[in-house]
Amino acid sequence: MSKITSAIGGFFGAIGRYFADFGKAMAKGDIFVKLSLIWWGAGYIARKQYVKGIIMTLLEAGIILFSIFFAPQYVSKFGTLGTVQFEQVFDVNTMQMVPNDYDHSFLILLFSLFCFVVWTVTFFICISVVKNAYRLQLRAQSGGHINSFKDDIADYFDKKFHVTLLSLPVLGIVIFTVIPILLLVFVAFTNYDQYHMPPAALFTWVGFDNFKSLFTSGGLTVSFSYAFGRILGWTLVWAFFATFTTYFGGILMSLLLNSKKTVVPKLWRLLLVITIAVPQFVSLLLVRYFFANNGIVNTICQNIGLTGLLRNWGLINTTYIPFLTAPIWAHVTIIIINIWIGVPYQMLVATGILMNLPSDQLESARIDGANKFQVFRYITMPYMFQVTAPTLVTDFVKNINNFNVIFLLTDGVYTTTNQMMANSQAKETDLLITWLFNLTQNYYNYKMAAVIGIVVFLICAVFTLIAFNFLISGDKEGVYN
Amino acid sequence: MSNENSVMTKEPAKAPETKAPKAPRRGHRLGGSRVGHNIIIAILCVIWLIPIVWLVCMSFSAGDGMYVASFFPKQWSVSHYVKLFQPDTVNQFPRWFLNTFKIAVFNCIIQTCFVLMVAYATSFGKFKARKPLMNVAVMLNLFPGVLTMIAVYFLLREFGLTNSHFGLLLVYSASSGLGYLICKGFFDTVPRALCEAARIDGCNEAKIFTRIVIPTSRPIIVYTIINAFLAPWMDFVFAKMILNAGISSQYTVAVGLYAMLEKSLINSYFTIFCCGGILVSIPIAILFFIMQKFYVEGVTAGSVKG
Repeated sequence: MSKITSAIGGFFGAIGRYFADFGKAMAKGDIFVKLSLIWWGAGYIARKQYVKGIIMTLLEAGIILFSIFFAPQYVSKFGTLGTVQFEQVFDVNTMQMVPNDYDHSFLILLFSLFCFVVWTVTFFICISVVKNAYRLQLRAQSGGHINSFKDDIADYFDKKFHVTLLSLPVLGIVIFTVIPILLLVFVAFTNYDQYHMPPAALFTWVGFDNFKSLFTSGGLTVSFSYAFGRILGWTLVWAFFATFTTYFGGILMSLLLNSKKTVVPKLWRLLLVITIAVPQFVSLLLVRYFFANNGIVNTICQNIGLTGLLRNWGLINTTYIPFLTAPIWAHVTIIIINIWIGVPYQMLVATGILMNLPSDQLESARIDGANKFQVFRYITMPYMFQVTAPTLVTDFVKNINNFNVIFLLTDGVYTTTNQMMANSQAKETDLLITWLFNLTQNYYNYKMAAVIGIVVFLICAVFTLIAFNFLISGDKEGVYN
Repeated sequence: MSNENSVMTKEPAKAPETKAPKAPRRGHRLGGSRVGHNIIIAILCVIWLIPIVWLVCMSFSAGDGMYVASFFPKQWSVSHYVKLFQPDTVNQFPRWFLNTFKIAVFNCIIQTCFVLMVAYATSFGKFKARKPLMNVAVMLNLFPGVLTMIAVYFLLREFGLTNSHFGLLLVYSASSGLGYLICKGFFDTVPRALCEAARIDGCNEAKIFTRIVIPTSRPIIVYTIINAFLAPWMDFVFAKMILNAGISSQYTVAVGLYAMLEKSLINSYFTIFCCGGILVSIPIAILFFIMQKFYVEGVTAGSVKG
């Protein structure tokens, strides 16, 4: 806990220092430092760094032009997300129907967001420009060396090499991860769905309406909160079982394989690993037809009389076993298939860890007369658990978002008979993540998908925070530095 | 005491390093448990391989469709493999293979560069924003890929990049810098004395990176390259999302094979799907086996206390 508080304290302390430095530069700097707040090149040119001064001036000019000619047409409409409906109007000049000058809600949202990001970056550039100018002034006053442009370039391959390395990857992350996430958060507060699809129609802000229809049973979409509850429940149940069955299965299997009694352990391991070496879209799709209503497993069950037996017991009322098509059956089958696909992987991990199991402890336990189970319970498991506890939590989070297993096994196979679920385009076997995928891909219900996305993030964040506390203790960076 | 000892000798030893159990007092019992032990493992392996064996069987069966009465086909033939290489409107396997290969190669180049660059900067760099940046990366990684991809899809659609390989490549590679942690873990173990020596000899950071760190990190670079190359082959969801409405000659292997299993097509294409599945699995499996040992190191790297 104290780690978290000190981390938060450190964070705000750093922010405080950041602005204090800026204030100091503004207060104590000479006229050029102060001028560089408005004209970025001033500080550099005053210290004879002409090329850098010109580059910064051009950059500033570019941003100003962007803010005057590009930004206003979108940002000014950000409050309403557009008011002019799309229409075809008759143009007397060309004698044709042409679209009017309509507002495109999505583009307004997207480009406004883009402008906000640009302006935020501009703000930080501006502060660092002033600080740099002040640093240059101090150096000039003390007669220190002022970098020429050539020195600056050389710096980017030496002292500032990290900037060169990070710029492209960070740009990629900003455009393809940060902006999309922000966009998603904004969409959650609009009514962007199949009835409000730009360019034909406008969408607008609706506040917390989408969150209300997901969490409370009021309003028109009463079924959404019902489906959300069911799916959230199954998501957590699934994540729990998927994580723990494969975890313990993997440990047991690796103990079995690494035993002295095993002949050719490498061959066995190879055979088991084949299962995960085959891509999931092949193996899972195959298994789904393996267990189909008229697939090979059902044929065999029928031949050996298992189907008839289950029907006599009243467990099924069909002529086949609905492995992937009836609620409870499908849930159990999915978890079992996941054991098939997940255990070899966990076996690999557990083998790697068991290789490092301190053998002196085992030996002394044996001398003390501990039996097999006691050794497992008091030595092997605690050691395994200590090493793998963080991965256990990350695995849990990964399973919450285990799209492949659920989608490949149930898409197009499982159809719900529950009207409430069907109304909200959900199935009993859906995870939040597959539901969200389905909502966007097939029903264009972006607003609800965005809300579900935020909920998934919050759930994952809570579990990861727990894992993070473990991870801090396992950070080995300092040991080698 | 003696009772417990006899239990010990019967049971499998815990770890490879442990000494062999004490000399068996009842040799025949030990031999029996040894056979039993291996039989259990063999049974497990058979269970685990059943679906894979079925995949092979189906691909070599003479009949069409998936509704077969017996596990092993009554007649064997390679006709489906021949059909796989005779493209029609649905099956364009050679094209899909090339498409995926093309994307995989480009992704391999970009992703490897990005990962190595970020890993080096975060491991060797000494700048103030390092820790905050790494914390932001942890937070961004919390958003599952599928989630952000929905918003990325909006973005790509506005720029007309959906249903194009370039768009898919961007999706795979643009944010790949976020997956730097395993590589950084390895870089953290590169002896700093080596870099200091190079610096004294007049190397700048860029030279240390390219001449010292990269040559000494061959295992992790192999891992990164294979990992980046495999991603487009293993991926299903992003390819489906981006290429969903496209024409079938644009598909990757995963999307193409999935399309074969539509309700109206499955009866005539299921066996061809099996052939395609096997052919695409073989190279992937080989690369996967090479990568296997790094896999374990990667997973446990962050958690094992030094």
